[in-house]
Amino acid sequence: MAYYAIKGGEEAIKNSLDFYADLTNSADELEDEVLIKSLTFSIDRVMSEGSLYSKKLAARSIKRSAGDLLNASFFLRAHRSSCQRIGISRTIDINKMRLSRRISSAFKDIEGGQLLGPSNDYEIKLLVDLKNEDVNIEEYSSKDCVIKSALSPLRDDDLIKKLPKEEKIWDVTRNYPSAPYPRSAVLQVMSRAETGSLLCVGYTTMRGYGDIHPTIGDLRIGELDIDFTHPFTKKDVKVGSIEATAVECVGTFNQDENGDTKLTTGFGFCFGKNETKAISMSMIDLSLYNTHYSVGGEHIIAADFDMIMHHLDGIESFGMTNHFKLPHYVTFQTDYQIFKSAQKYSNDKKGDAK
Amino acid sequence: MRYAFLDEEAKKEIRRSILKAIAIPGYIVGFASRELPVARGWGTGGLQVTLALINEKDNLKVIDQGCDGSVNAVNIRNFIKSVTNVNTTTKTTDASIIQTRHRVPEIELEERQTLVYQVPMPDVLETVEPNISKAKLLHANADYSKLWVLLYEDTSQFGDSRISNRYPVMVNNRYAMDPSPIPKYDTPKLNDCKALQIFGAGREKKIYAIPPYTKVEPLKFEDRDFKVENFDGKSCSRCGSTNSFLDEVYDDEGITHYYCNDTDYCDSNIEVGEK
Repeated sequence: MAYYAIKGGEEAIKNSLDFYADLTNSADELEDEVLIKSLTFSIDRVMSEGSLYSKKLAARSIKRSAGDLLNASFFLRAHRSSCQRIGISRTIDINKMRLSRRISSAFKDIEGGQLLGPSNDYEIKLLVDLKNEDVNIEEYSSKDCVIKSALSPLRDDDLIKKLPKEEKIWDVTRNYPSAPYPRSAVLQVMSRAETGSLLCVGYTTMRGYGDIHPTIGDLRIGELDIDFTHPFTKKDVKVGSIEATAVECVGTFNQDENGDTKLTTGFGFCFGKNETKAISMSMIDLSLYNTHYSVGGEHIIAADFDMIMHHLDGIESFGMTNHFKLPHYVTFQTDYQIFKSAQKYSNDKKGDAK
Repeated sequence: MRYAFLDEEAKKEIRRSILKAIAIPGYIVGFASRELPVARGWGTGGLQVTLALINEKDNLKVIDQGCDGSVNAVNIRNFIKSVTNVNTTTKTTDASIIQTRHRVPEIELEERQTLVYQVPMPDVLETVEPNISKAKLLHANADYSKLWVLLYEDTSQFGDSRISNRYPVMVNNRYAMDPSPIPKYDTPKLNDCKALQIFGAGREKKIYAIPPYTKVEPLKFEDRDFKVENFDGKSCSRCGSTNSFLDEVYDDEGITHYYCNDTDYCDSNIEVGEK
């Protein structure tokens, strides 16, 4: 090995990028529109984890990373940092969602009924083509379907525990809070979280780390308008609409601070069609804010704010995990010297004992 | 592309955090931490500090593990150059901003210089108290007993602390601070340093600083010496230096060679020799 091993990073990077391009370039041949239409769940996942609502940029990110979705989200996040923020839209009310799918497993009968919409939940997952025959698509109205959350009647009857309303909504992308974390920040972190991580932590609550068996009170997918106060005219204008998933789950009951017996709920919300993620988020929200409603122990992962705030972000955990690929020779050299001297010390001690 | 990549609000916020960090040496200041086109954990904290500070008059040097030419250093330097068009250098003496991963340059820094560290774990208490809320309280009370216990247990078992790099330091007699994973060899260089030292942790969203001429001491029992890496009897096979941090490199025959870890220092030694 000659001295040049220590230098030469620039050339090495160029070569490496070239090889990578060979491996992945054919993804460029895919049309954005084709990706958006055909890989709709990938697009939605990348927008949700990349925390930027743009199907077109999501498609481009997926191509740039040749289908590595975490990497694709990383492209979106990085792009976001160069965008100036113009303002904050008005609060969205999920009750006003134009539904394409809405189910509730808590109630047999709900206002507006169950709306299965597009779903393959009941599909037999076989890699052979079974024809979906004898389908009589029911007459359905093309009118917007807007129905309130299935939990609205319970809420109207004051049966559900309410958390205090935050006066000012926190924005984790502009100002990251330190503990104790405001709920708006916690929900944002979960909404941007890596789907698998969120599912994993959500799953722990069903397996003894928190005794929660929530019921889906209302799961909905649909379109939401984004309203914005025009900076000059001060009038409300609609700047566009987004597709989103929202879930309210229902947990167990207990007595609240006033001694009233109340039911607990958890809330999940994310961009696009992301049911598993939204359900997981609602379960974690439930266990974070209702620990004493849980029958099991209170010291559980899904009820630990630090755990939730710092371990679910895909871009962050992926970056940190991959940074181990960078050279570490300074620290290893140092580790090695310390190890040698500790070894010598314990060997000497052993010798003394004899 | 916007000058220095980040939007103006972000740069303003980072500058504010830096000012606060300088005002309270060793204290950890939170900031929003934007995502960059470089992965988290690859130096995004240092990058954000550099991007918030840099202007056309600056001369930038980026090192990774002592080397200007390593992949990460090259990448970061190219990125900053592409979004600012500032001059870059590999010469420590010529640089006004030096962004570093895990080394303090061998040549003594000067007043006009700023050393920006890339930090993976900003809170020195993390190993002994992973709960951030509790760690914050310990810092507030200057309660570093858990660190002392760790130090004591290691010393009794292994003769010295097992902490090899990122050795905890006490800044200005008040805050225990993580100096980023620099070797112990570099720890004494933090003390009374003429240059401003800023530490940025992107993933953990924290900034802290050591202003020039500030007292920085390694945490150590009074009756124990602070021992740094020992290269006695070894010298750089390239420039012959006997007073620098050396990398151990095996050649194809399996023979060990030593080279200066600080590549600019090594180059300068050779230049001086040639003259």
